[in-house]
Amino acid sequence: MSFPKKPGGKATDILQNLPRITLANLRPEPGSKKLEQRRGRGQHGGNRSGRGHKGERQRGNRPRLGFVGGSTPFYLAIPKYGYNEGHSCRPQYQPLSLKRLQYLIDLGRVDPTQPIDLTQLVNARGVTVQPLKRDYGVQLVDEGADIFAAKINIEVQRASEGAIAAIERNGGVVTTSFYDPISLGILIKPVPFFLRGQPIPRRMLPGEDMVPYYTNAENRGYLADPEKIQQARLALAQKYGYILPDISKDELYHMLSMRKDVRQIFFGLAPGWVVNMTEKKILKPTDEKLLKYYSS
Amino acid sequence: MAAFMLSRRTAVLCRTLKGISASKTVLPANSQCGLLLQTASYNPRPLRLNIRDPYIPDKDSEKTPEWQKTAKYDRKLFGRYGSASGIDPASLWPSHKELDKIIAEENEWHPPLEVMLKNIAIKEKAETEKRLAKEKLIAANMAKMPKMVADWRRQKREAKLKLKEEKARRTKLLAEARERFGYAVDPRSPKFLEMVAEIEKEEKKKKKLLKRRLKEEQAAGVVQPPPTSS
Repeated sequence: MSFPKKPGGKATDILQNLPRITLANLRPEPGSKKLEQRRGRGQHGGNRSGRGHKGERQRGNRPRLGFVGGSTPFYLAIPKYGYNEGHSCRPQYQPLSLKRLQYLIDLGRVDPTQPIDLTQLVNARGVTVQPLKRDYGVQLVDEGADIFAAKINIEVQRASEGAIAAIERNGGVVTTSFYDPISLGILIKPVPFFLRGQPIPRRMLPGEDMVPYYTNAENRGYLADPEKIQQARLALAQKYGYILPDISKDELYHMLSMRKDVRQIFFGLAPGWVVNMTEKKILKPTDEKLLKYYSS
Repeated sequence: MAAFMLSRRTAVLCRTLKGISASKTVLPANSQCGLLLQTASYNPRPLRLNIRDPYIPDKDSEKTPEWQKTAKYDRKLFGRYGSASGIDPASLWPSHKELDKIIAEENEWHPPLEVMLKNIAIKEKAETEKRLAKEKLIAANMAKMPKMVADWRRQKREAKLKLKEEKARRTKLLAEARERFGYAVDPRSPKFLEMVAEIEKEEKKKKKLLKRRLKEEQAAGVVQPPPTSS
């Protein structure tokens, strides 16, 4: 006989003839579900129900946490020192390791063929940023620099030297930029902002304490001189011992060279525009004063 | 125009409005709206805008709460329902007065980059100057140190010597007194003091005699050589 053999064989027959999966047909893997301990039942759970013998333990009247029987407790005996002083005014940056970034790119959650922004990272659920908890954005961390292999155009708020080196070694581009808290809230949740019906605000400049960081080419700041950034790229390549790939000859050069304007929050959207989600329209102001303000 | 970054929700919204309902679809680059749309690789949260049955409050009636008549609520209505909310889009932007206020506030609280850089430069200069002055002072003082150390050591040595001398003199006087009076005299007693005064007088006399003799010798010495030389 020259019947072509059906692929799968008996397995497909079985699968096709079995009844549909319902709750009645399913059971958990043996050993995966451990029965919970029920107090007050049986020889071992009963009697005093695991509470001990008399006293405060059994009667549930133990003193508060930290109490040590009357002497000065540890948390009061140790003198205060200003380690946490002003902690609520300190800017925090959620760390993003290169290992996690590579993981997201590999799973297809983050598209390396488009500029990677904080919006993209939050959409991909790669990081969770809380602007109300003094988060000022995301920082790149070196962990996973040895396995990182993706050519990307990424924009973060802070980046360590090793992370910058790893990304540039693979032919990518890093930029550090500043988002004030309102702009950050808009950046991570653009759709609720568009539903508010407000015009896109201008991004504010960093404060005096952060201006030196963002004007420094070593940190690839967005306020730094592009020539100095190129020099810094070469210097970093020499320091870490890799050949700096020439991105101008790259096919994705246009994408890699996309940068946001200093006052811009979104790629392709300028400050002052109103984005309407229902009608998929963008409204732009025509008044000269408004235009002058928004484009200054 | 450069590629537009729309979030998943808008991508899904576009797709659902066009009648496609699949979570992972690859749209052609030039679809009907001529834009490059991004795909979502998992099911995003649906945006329930409630377009069919919008609630637009009646501005004139008294029953509507105050907060539904504010400009903020109007903007939110426009954001949710678009032109169907019946709000003039021109009211979304700040008026001229409000804009002036905003510009004034920004000028006060957010100085431009040049001003900030200048301030930073000034601060840095002041800091470096202070540091340099301090370092100069330290260097100058350190240069003086060897001399000061030597001075101090010399002073200490001299003080020690003086003490030794003083002690020697005292023991000598005591011995002298012992010899004279025949018993150990208390250095504080008047007898001892008288004895000390006597000894000093004698010594002074001796010194005077010595000086006179020296002068005579010198005079004699000076006088003698000229006659011999000439």
